[in-house]
Amino acid sequence: MKISRNWLNEYIQLNQSTADIANKISLTGIESMPVYIGKDLSNLVVGHITKIEDHPDSDHMHICQVDVGEKEIQIVCGAPNVALDQYVIVALDGATLPDGVKIKKGKLRGEESNGMICGLDELGVKVKNVPEEFHNGIYVFDEAQKPGESVLDLLGLSDEMVDLDITPNRGDTLGMRGAAWEIGATYDEKPNFVDPKLSGSPKNIDLDIDVQSDKVNGYQAVVLEDVKVGKSPLWMQRRLWNQDIQPTNAVLDIANYVMIEYGQPIQAYDYDKIAGLKLQNAETQEVIMSDGTEVKLSSEDIVVMSGEDVLSIAGVLDTDFAKVTEDTKNVLFESAVFDGATVRKEAQRHDLRNNSSNRFEKGIDTSLNGLALDRIVELSEDILNPSDYSQHIVGKEYNYSPTTISATVTRINSLIGIELTTDEIINIFDRLGFATIVDGENLKVTVPARRNDMSIEADLVEEVIRIYGYENLVGTLPTGKQTKGGYTDKREFSNRLRYSLLSQGMDEAVNFSLLSKKEVEDFNVNETKLVHLLHPMTEDHEYLRTSLIPSLVKNVAYNQARKEFNVRLFDQERIFEKGHSDRPNEIEYISGAISGNIVDKSWNQKEQKVDFYYVKGIVEEMISYANLDANIEFEATSDIENLHPGQTAKITANGKMIGFVGKLHPQYQDEMNVNDTYVFELNVDQLFAFGSKVIQSQPAPKYPSISRDLALLVKKDILSGDIIKDIFNNGGKYLEDVEIFDVYQGDNIERGYKSLGYHLVFLNRSDTLTDEEVEQSFDQIKDSLVTKFAVEIR
Amino acid sequence: MTTLEERLKMLRDEGIKSIREQNHSKDLNEVRVNLLGKKGPITEALRGMKDLSAEERPKIGTLANAVRDEIQSAIELRSKELNDALIKQKLEKETIDVTLPSQPQKVGTEHILTQTISDIEEFFISLGYKVDSGFEVEEDYYNFERLNIPQDHPARDMQDTFYLSDKLLMRTQTSAQEGRDLENHDFSKGPLKVISPGVVYRRDDDDATHSHQFHQLEGLVVDKNISMADLKGTLEALCQHVFGKEREIRFRPSYFPFTEPSVEVDVSCFNCGGEGCRICKYTGWIEVLGAGLSHPKVLEMSGIDTNIYSGFAFGLGPERFAMLKYGITDIRDFYTNDVRFLEQFKGAIR
Repeated sequence: MKISRNWLNEYIQLNQSTADIANKISLTGIESMPVYIGKDLSNLVVGHITKIEDHPDSDHMHICQVDVGEKEIQIVCGAPNVALDQYVIVALDGATLPDGVKIKKGKLRGEESNGMICGLDELGVKVKNVPEEFHNGIYVFDEAQKPGESVLDLLGLSDEMVDLDITPNRGDTLGMRGAAWEIGATYDEKPNFVDPKLSGSPKNIDLDIDVQSDKVNGYQAVVLEDVKVGKSPLWMQRRLWNQDIQPTNAVLDIANYVMIEYGQPIQAYDYDKIAGLKLQNAETQEVIMSDGTEVKLSSEDIVVMSGEDVLSIAGVLDTDFAKVTEDTKNVLFESAVFDGATVRKEAQRHDLRNNSSNRFEKGIDTSLNGLALDRIVELSEDILNPSDYSQHIVGKEYNYSPTTISATVTRINSLIGIELTTDEIINIFDRLGFATIVDGENLKVTVPARRNDMSIEADLVEEVIRIYGYENLVGTLPTGKQTKGGYTDKREFSNRLRYSLLSQGMDEAVNFSLLSKKEVEDFNVNETKLVHLLHPMTEDHEYLRTSLIPSLVKNVAYNQARKEFNVRLFDQERIFEKGHSDRPNEIEYISGAISGNIVDKSWNQKEQKVDFYYVKGIVEEMISYANLDANIEFEATSDIENLHPGQTAKITANGKMIGFVGKLHPQYQDEMNVNDTYVFELNVDQLFAFGSKVIQSQPAPKYPSISRDLALLVKKDILSGDIIKDIFNNGGKYLEDVEIFDVYQGDNIERGYKSLGYHLVFLNRSDTLTDEEVEQSFDQIKDSLVTKFAVEIR
Repeated sequence: MTTLEERLKMLRDEGIKSIREQNHSKDLNEVRVNLLGKKGPITEALRGMKDLSAEERPKIGTLANAVRDEIQSAIELRSKELNDALIKQKLEKETIDVTLPSQPQKVGTEHILTQTISDIEEFFISLGYKVDSGFEVEEDYYNFERLNIPQDHPARDMQDTFYLSDKLLMRTQTSAQEGRDLENHDFSKGPLKVISPGVVYRRDDDDATHSHQFHQLEGLVVDKNISMADLKGTLEALCQHVFGKEREIRFRPSYFPFTEPSVEVDVSCFNCGGEGCRICKYTGWIEVLGAGLSHPKVLEMSGIDTNIYSGFAFGLGPERFAMLKYGITDIRDFYTNDVRFLEQFKGAIR
C-alpha cells in the first residue's frame, strides 16, 4: 500500500521528509520505502492546442500551434487522438522525462517542433493505470486548464509516497485511515478524520437481502437513483493511478477510492438488473466475470445472487451480469464483511487475487462498514449527481464486540526486559487509539476494530516495545540455570567420519534430496519403495533420494565437462527409505566418488591413476578412525547394478552389510559422461549403532619379533582375503601381522595361476620367541593352505 | 744436541709435511698408522733412549711426547679439513632449485555451508545450547499447526510446500523442530536451549536467489523470565561472532505466526561499517535473520505454562550468511559442487 503524503496531510501533518518517515515506520512497524513518483521531471506544462494542420510529408502527423502560457509554440505530434482545442501535456524544449530522457527542439520531416505533446505513460504512470481512452495516444485534460501551468501537481506527479510492505497481520494499514493511525502513533500525532456529511434525507427503498451463508458476517448496501456515469474528477483519478488503480468510470472510481480511504472493499452493481439479493454457496456453474475471465464456480465459493443470476463472487469480483457501465442509471453499492479465509480461498481457487480479496483476507476495519457507504453517497452527490439515495439496506448487521486484553505492567516489562512506568505504557496505547483501564498493576486494554491482529497479551507487548523503540532496548543474555551445550553422540560420530575424509584429501559436496525417477533407481541397492512428491515442480526433482551416489556422479560429470578431471568428492547427508510407517526413514549416509589421478604427471612425478585399492584404503582408514566395535570385512560382489562386477566389494560389519566400494560399470560411466570413477557408500546410522571399541593400552613390545616370508602359487580366482584369514586361523598366538608384498601373474607363471608373497611377523610380548615356536606355526599355516587352497609353496 | 733429538725433529717435520699432503682420509689414516703405530719411526727412535744419559732421557722423553702430540694434532686438523671438504662437496652436489613446484599434498575442503553452520553451532554450544537436527520429512502438524499456522492461515501462502501426502511434507522450516523439542524437554531439569540446523524445502523455481532446497538454522530458548532483551543480546553476540566484533544489530518489527513480538534482525554492514555501500544497498544495514518471543500458543500447545515460562526463537539462513560474507551471487553455486568453487573456501572459517 502506497501512502500519499498529499492524502495523508488531510489527516495528520508531518514535517519530516518522506525518506525519514519511511525509515521510522520501518523501524517501528512496517517495512517501508520512500517513493518519489515524478522525481526529476521538469518543464512539463499545460498546453492548449489553438491550431492544427496535417503534416505535408506525413500521413499521420500533425502540426500543432500550442499555447503554453506566455507564448505559442509549434509542435509536431503523431498521436492519433490529437485535436483542436485540447488541453494537453507539453514537454517544453529542455524538459526531462523519466530515466533522464531530455526533450530538445528540432525538426520532424522538415517541420519545426519545439517540444512534445505527451501521454501519461511518458511521464512515468504505468500503462495499465492510464485510463483506457488514452492508451494509444496523448493524455487530454477533461477540463480547461491554465496554459503554461506545471502539470505535475495536476496529475499527482509531485506527490511523494511511503510504500508500506505489509505483513499478513497488518491489514489495518490497507486503508488511508488505518495507515494514518499507524504513522501518527509513530510520531505521537493523532489523526483527524472528518466524517461524511450528507445533504437531504435518504429515500426508503425496499430490497430483500437474504444472507444464507455464515461466511457473511455483515452486509449492507445503498442504492443511488438516476446517476450520470461519466468520468470521475481529475483529483480522484490521479489518486487512483498513484495507487496502481486504473480510473474507469465514476461509479467504479468512487468505489475504489472509498476502498483505499477506508480499507473497506465496495462492490457496485447495476441496480436495474437486481430483484432482491441472496448470499449463499455457489452451484457449480460457469460464469463470466466483469474482466472477461471465465470462472467455474465451486460449491465452496460464496456468491451474491439475484434470482438465478450470479452477481459476484463474494469479496472478490463481480460478474458481467450486473456490471456497471456508462449506461447504468441506478447503482447499488455493497459494503460487506466477508470471512477472510473464505475470500482468500475463492481468490486462490480462481486465480483472482485483487485489492478487494487482499483486504478481506487480511481483515478489514469493521467499524467503518456503514460509514464507508455514507462516504460513497457523499462523493456520489458531487460526482454522480443522483436524484435520490437510499437508506442503508441491511442484509446482516455486523456484530462487533470490541476486544479487551488484560495485561500487567510487570509482565509487559519482564517480557521485554525494560522498566517502563504505568503511565508510559498507557501513553503508548493511547497513541495507538487503544483505551486502557488501570487497576493498580492490572491493565485492561480495549483495541479498536481496525486492529484485528490484537488478541493476547503478547500482542500488547509488541505494541509497547515497537513504539517505545527497539533501538532503546539493551541486549542481555539469558541468566537461567547453567546448561551444558553440545552435539548429540551421533553427530559427534558423523563429524569424525567427515574429518577423516577431509584429511584424506576429499572435498565435501552438498546435493539435493529430490531427484528424478532415474536417479533414485540407479543406486537403489536396498530396493526400497520409492517416495515421491504429490505435486512435483519438475521431473528433475520428483522423488526422495535412495542414495547419494547418483548426485556425486553427476558432480563428477559436471567437473569433468569443465576440464577438472581429478575429482574427489564426498557427501554426508540423508537418504530416504520407505519402511512400515507412512513416514520414510531418514538414514544418514557418507558416500564418495573419486575419479582421475591421485598423482598428476609433473617434472618429478609419474602420473598415478586412482584405482580400487586407493579408494578401499580411504574407506578402511575412515572406518578405522571411527574405532568401531565390529569386525569389518570386504567381500567381492557382482550384484550391485551400475557397478563393475569384477571390481566391487560389499562392506560388512559383523557380517551385516553396511555399504560398498567399487568402480562404476563402464556402461554407466558412458551414460553419465564420466571417466573411470570409483564410488563408496556407508550407512552412518548402522556404523554408529556398533559403538566404539574400548581401547586398553599395552606397552610397546620389549622382545624382538621374528618374520618369515611365504611365496605361494595359487589359482587365479582364489581371494587373498581368504588366504590371509586362513593364515591367521592357523598362525598360533604369536602371529602378529600378515602383509602381502607381491601379487604376480604373467611370465614364468602358469596360465590361470598367480603368485602371492606374504610377509608374516611373529611376536611374543612376554618372552623371547624361539625359532622352533615360529617354525611350528609356520608349518601349520603351510599345511592348511596346501590342503584348503591347493597352493604350491615356492 | 744428540742425534736422537735431531731425528725426532726431522720425523716431526717430515711427518707433518706428509700429513698435509694427504687428500683422502684413507691415506691419512695410513700415514697415521705409519707414523704413530707400534712399528712406526717414532717408536723406533725412542728405542734408542736406553743409550742416553740419565740427564738427557727426560728431555728427549718430553720432546718425543711433544712430537707425538704435534703429529696427532696435525692429523686431526687435516682429517677435519678433509671431512669439511667432503661435506661441502656433498652439499654442493645435493643443492636443488627450491622454487620448483612441490609434490602436492591435499587436505579436502569442507563445504562452505558446513563450515558456516559448524561455526554457528560451535558458537551456540559455547553458550550451552544442544544441537538437534530433526526430520526433513515432517508432519503438517509439526511444520505448521504446532507453529500456530492452522490450515487456512495466510502464512501458508508465504511458503509453498512439497507434500508427500495429506499429512506429510518436506519441512519448509527448521522451526518444525520446535514442537518436538518443547514436548521432549523436561523443564524440571532446567531451561531448554537448542539449535536445529538442517535442510528445508520450498516449492520455488531455482534461480540465482531461490533454491527449492536450502538450509536453515533454528534456535529456541525457553525458561523463566526470558525477554526480548535476552534475544537481542544473544543475537548481538552471534552477529559479532560471525560478522566481526564491531557489529551492531537492530530489530525491526515483523510478523511470524509462531513468535509475538516478531522482528527482522539487521546487522550493521560488515563491508562499509554502516556508511553505506553496494552490499548493504546504501542503507548501512543488512537483514540477516528473523526472530521473536515464542508465541504463547506455541508454548501452550506443548503444555507449557506461559505464566511461568517464556521463550525466544530465531531462524537464520546459512546460504544467506555465506553469500553475504563471501560475495557469492548465485545460490545454485552451493549445489553444483564445482571443485573450483568448493576449494576456494579451504579454511575459510577458523
